[in-house]
Amino acid sequence: MAIGTLPVTTTARLSLRERVSELLDREHILGPLFVSPAFILILLLVAYPFCMAVYFSLSNAFIGRPSHLIGIKNFINLWDSDAFRQTFQNAFVFTGVAVAVKLVMGVALALLLNQDLWFKRLIRGIVLLPWVIPTALSTLGWWWMFNSLYSVVNWSGIALGIMDPPGPNWLGQRYYAMTAVILVNIWRGLPFFVITILAGLVSIPKELYEAAQADGAGPWARFWYVTLPMLKGVLAIVVLFSTIFTFSDFNIVYVLTHGGPINSTHLFATLSRQIGLESGRIGEGAAISLYLFPLLAFVVYAQLRYVRRQVN
Amino acid sequence: MSSMSRRRFVAATSTGVAGILAARVAPAVGQTREISYLCWNNFAPASDKKLGEIGQRFTKDTGIKLKIDHIAAPQQPAKYASEVQTQSGHDLVEMRMHFPWLYEPQLVDVSDVVAGLEKQYGKVISSAAEAAHVKGTWRAVPQYHAQFVCAYREDLFKKASLKVPETWEDLYPVGKELKKMGNPLGIAISQNYDTISTASAVMWSYGAKEIDKDGKTVAINSPATAQVVEWYKKMYRDCMDPEVLSWSDASNNESLQQGKAGWIHNPVSAYIVARDRKLVTADGINHHKSLAGPTGQRHETDAPRSIGIWKFSKNVEASKEWIRYLLGKREVYDEYIMSGSAFNLPVYTNMQDHPVLKTDPKYVHLKNEGAQYHTYGWPAAPSDKVQLITNSFIVPNMLAKAVTGTSTKDAIAWAENEMKKIIAG
Repeated sequence: MAIGTLPVTTTARLSLRERVSELLDREHILGPLFVSPAFILILLLVAYPFCMAVYFSLSNAFIGRPSHLIGIKNFINLWDSDAFRQTFQNAFVFTGVAVAVKLVMGVALALLLNQDLWFKRLIRGIVLLPWVIPTALSTLGWWWMFNSLYSVVNWSGIALGIMDPPGPNWLGQRYYAMTAVILVNIWRGLPFFVITILAGLVSIPKELYEAAQADGAGPWARFWYVTLPMLKGVLAIVVLFSTIFTFSDFNIVYVLTHGGPINSTHLFATLSRQIGLESGRIGEGAAISLYLFPLLAFVVYAQLRYVRRQVN
Repeated sequence: MSSMSRRRFVAATSTGVAGILAARVAPAVGQTREISYLCWNNFAPASDKKLGEIGQRFTKDTGIKLKIDHIAAPQQPAKYASEVQTQSGHDLVEMRMHFPWLYEPQLVDVSDVVAGLEKQYGKVISSAAEAAHVKGTWRAVPQYHAQFVCAYREDLFKKASLKVPETWEDLYPVGKELKKMGNPLGIAISQNYDTISTASAVMWSYGAKEIDKDGKTVAINSPATAQVVEWYKKMYRDCMDPEVLSWSDASNNESLQQGKAGWIHNPVSAYIVARDRKLVTADGINHHKSLAGPTGQRHETDAPRSIGIWKFSKNVEASKEWIRYLLGKREVYDEYIMSGSAFNLPVYTNMQDHPVLKTDPKYVHLKNEGAQYHTYGWPAAPSDKVQLITNSFIVPNMLAKAVTGTSTKDAIAWAENEMKKIIAG
């Protein structure tokens, strides 16, 4: 078999500038180029620490000592700990109640702020304040308000005659303490709900309300059949984000109760710090903080799928 | 003068840079000796200021540059963990209580420095040795300690003709009377370290302990612990307010300073702050010696602090030089101790009768003769597991359960079970 020769065509050599310009004109090169800085940042600041955390959780890592993989032993052993089982329960109570209240109050407040109010912009700005102030700092303020010696909450309650002296022991009794940390989380997280839902409300076409009104729909019917369906996507995203943030809350519990009394307010992040950093057991600490990862990953997947379906 | 071609210059400098990179050490000519020291924000702020002054003098005298950084105590574990994991950061670190055990494999052997100091000042006191002498090697150099002490409102005691207690049992009638006066006892029963400090002192005085000396046998379930739990129950019921269940480490100080608590168990800082801020309660506060258990034994919790050098430090000798300068020069060590009022006390036997104790008549009982000082977990060595028991607040939670309704037997059984799981794990 004979091998033929191909004619080679020569083209005029392009300058470097022209070659770069030609490369940048190609979409499959320009696109990844734009994305790459963000991708590298995510890789370094999110993916790497996450992979390290997964590795630690599957090992017997102890600060400054050699470690080896032990599989899911940390995850199994944690169930033996009374403090962990309590923390697991606390996390669901804390997140469930806080997210539910934030959702209901968030919708109500957003509806209110969507009305034509005096000083609307000022009020919207003020509503954002708890979200803007650093959590550790604002929680310190709440700590003073709940503090047994100086509690302004109890002082006011007693002065108004709605509390018997000395008033509730906010941070020293299990149910009060949980109420206190949930309350502060709601105060802190509510603006996120309000502003996001308000943005959703503003984007609902006015014609829909006008049509509903022409059909004789009252305020409740308009809310139920127009507002709520149109907000579903926004609400799903807000609830998703808030659930993740609330499950992983640290500052509020750390400052207010340190996980007490009798571990009744510990969350995964605070217990993880106690075991992983204060006691040096990084492996166990990482396992605590990653315990709910599979569940949360599933929730994220399910909710994003739902949102995508809504959009389509 | 011979000229050097460009090619020869590039070859020579490349070889030099390659050598430096391979050795990972700067050439001796270019090295400036510089060390960094990370320590906590001392509860006696004047002490930090003095440390800075001494550091400047050290640089002037030795030519070694010293950078001192401070962080709040709660941030120490996270910061130290990150320095160890990344093998970079400061050369020297201030170590609280059992940190030398926790970071043992990462700390330089400083036995030579401690030997020199012991030759000068006598043996290290027991609690500081428990904390820094790890498995036969000094992993940190003991520098000072802040023992717990009984602080009380002397003016209220006089007003009600109350006798200063000698034993923990004596404290009960006193506390009952104080509570009636609106000045209850301030003993924390919450997830904080002050709770462990007081509970440990009471337990040791009653002959109770968490773990045996072997570090393996859980010993919490004993008649002595039952006595302690019962004592706590009656104290909580008749001598204290429920607020103690929510207290942080600072709460008992504040309660005494603000005129509420009539008696607390705490380092001397409660009085120092009241005095320095000229609070109205300051004059009425005084201290008395540690309380005894049923057999007359007096044990006290101590919080010693030491200085460690990370193994990854490239300036170990210069770091040791700084420690010797700070603690090995008597006049410098004295100056440093004096600056902390009586909050930072020396940890060497021959310095126990230190002039700082004569700076205020209310420090007279800080000498606390006859009391034995220990750190958390005693008599067991502070192994990882013993420290996990401490950091999990098992004893505070056992007491909190008991005073809020759980039976003594069940509360102790719960604590025993939790401790056994940790020891077995």
